[in-house]
Amino acid sequence: MANLTRFNLRDKGAEIWAGWSRPVRTVFVLAFIVLIGLMPFAASWGPTSFLNTPITSFQNVLVYPVGMFIMMALGLNIVVGKSGLLDLGYVAFFAIGAYSQGILSTLYGWNTWEVMPFGIGFAMLAGVILGLPALRLRGDYLAIITLGFGEIVRIVAINLSVTGGPNGIPGIPNPPSVFGLHFDLMHPETFFWLVFAMILLVIWMVRRFTIRRPGRAWEAIRQDEDVAALMGVNTLVYKLWSFVIGAAVGGAAGVLYASKVMVISPDMFKFDVSILILACVVFGGIGNIWGVVLGAGILAYMPERIRFISDARQLVFGLVLIIMMNMRPDGLLPRKKREKITEKGAK
Amino acid sequence: MSEKLLELKNVTIKFGGVTALNEVNFHVNRGEICALIGPNGAGKTTVFNVVTGVYPLTSGEITFKGVNLAGLKRHQVTKSGLARTFQNVRLFGDMTALENVITATDVHKKTGLLRALIGTPLNRKEERESKERAHELLALMGIDHRADQLAKNLPYGDQRRLEIARALGTEPELLLLDEPAAGFNPAEKVELANLIKKIRDKGYTVLLIEHDMSLIMGISDRVAVLDFGQKIADDLPTVVQNDPRVIEAYLGVPADAS
Ligand SMILES: Nc1ncnc2c1ncn2[C@@H]1O[C@H](COP(=O)(O)OP(=O)(O)OP(=O)(O)O)[C@@H](O)[C@H]1O
Ligand SMILES: [Mg+2]
Repeated sequence: MANLTRFNLRDKGAEIWAGWSRPVRTVFVLAFIVLIGLMPFAASWGPTSFLNTPITSFQNVLVYPVGMFIMMALGLNIVVGKSGLLDLGYVAFFAIGAYSQGILSTLYGWNTWEVMPFGIGFAMLAGVILGLPALRLRGDYLAIITLGFGEIVRIVAINLSVTGGPNGIPGIPNPPSVFGLHFDLMHPETFFWLVFAMILLVIWMVRRFTIRRPGRAWEAIRQDEDVAALMGVNTLVYKLWSFVIGAAVGGAAGVLYASKVMVISPDMFKFDVSILILACVVFGGIGNIWGVVLGAGILAYMPERIRFISDARQLVFGLVLIIMMNMRPDGLLPRKKREKITEKGAK
Repeated sequence: MSEKLLELKNVTIKFGGVTALNEVNFHVNRGEICALIGPNGAGKTTVFNVVTGVYPLTSGEITFKGVNLAGLKRHQVTKSGLARTFQNVRLFGDMTALENVITATDVHKKTGLLRALIGTPLNRKEERESKERAHELLALMGIDHRADQLAKNLPYGDQRRLEIARALGTEPELLLLDEPAAGFNPAEKVELANLIKKIRDKGYTVLLIEHDMSLIMGISDRVAVLDFGQKIADDLPTVVQNDPRVIEAYLGVPADAS
């Protein structure tokens, strides 16, 4: 067990990766992408049919909760993992994205692609409005304010008529077809590919930030905010950016979510969603993209897979969490021990 | 006359009932190595903290290059050309030595989030420059072989050297060193003294807090003495050394025995 806690899969993986030449890497990445792209068909193929989920169809599970949670966990990881800001109200940005889609599509007839930049924009704006005052505070205070913000957004949604009050917004259209791909009830796999593409985009973005100046600034802030400031890091601005970028990812996930489920209501955006996403981040390995992806994938999928034990489901879920966190307190794939925040190419 | 790079005018700092600095007037000339000495708790570190914007002034004024520092944020003070080390080493422990220094060099870079995301030619050029400069500074401090080790795993002495390299990374005009030789053996102290001289000869101005008298007397152009938050002497090392008030402050013998 001691070995298990010390073994760092993340470092091992990085080692193997570093040993590969460029073409090998490209082939690996492409093969990996194709493999993930085939995931929706895994449940109907013999050897992998054990993956199938009772109750909800496997293809739908892959979109929500699995894909959505991975995306949100990646977004929250920018805030919590990269710059060390504890945000307990992350669901607020998800809700803002979802309601943007709900309102703009049903009232003004905008389609998902048109709403997307606005949903992201509104979430970012909310990030600035919340972040500017809140990020001047430290640790516990920030956590409490963000927690409050999450609740405020939901309560506002309950009380406004434009958001449909407690009943929410029904009849949200699916995204229109693009490149011959149809997004509707009959084609959950195309939704999955869409979410997958967005996840890849987020990963690409986060990796770029991480190895360059913003990543260094965040890392410095996370480790010692006062010293970071004294070494010339504009801490407020960089904290705000990490907050706002995290919000943007949450907003994008929200827009997509609303156009997938077609009905949204305030009780979908409760506090426990924030906590679950945070659990995904911590469970997978706070600060490490691959850990977060894995953690969110497992935590989103597992409850669906064991739905047949209905009542004991939450209990099993909780037990698994407790046991795992005891065995690997830094998560499944911990943050790189040797955090690389400079580029390979920049010699 | 030499230019006053940093000047404190009637600076007073109070922490509740404690007066850490009392009407201190003090300056550092460009190009010199100035030492700040005094018994424990005299207020030396407080001078650094107030100059770098960690503590607000209770009263008085601080100018750097003739510009009032009041109202500047900490990162702005650093950007204007002031950098410091810490009495208790405060590195970014989970970064490598190299990354610690690169983080400091970022202060003068133009790359923001958008440029970093796109990876513009400017961004790539800046990343390359940062890395080169960081290696240079590590080499200057004699720890380039530690570049890829995590800061927290470095031996204590190298951590202190890395702190200086990191401060130099911000390209300061005035370098503030808070007891850089603490915990060093005599040989290491001599080596450090030579390094500080070398740094000065490269055009940096140095303000140095230090307890080791022989080190100070060897390299300082001027020595200021603090005692209970008040400046009690400010002169050439040889003069200060024989000042009865300084001797009294250090030995704790009252001037007037009555
Ligand atoms: N943040 C603070 N709050 C309250 N009192 C403080 C604070 N910082 C410093 N002081 C007090 O101010 C006085 C001067 O402290 P300072 O750290 O500047 O001393 P110093 O000359 O650096 O001493 P040393 O040689 O031990 O490092 C001390 O009495 C200290 O207790
Ligand atoms: Mg001190």
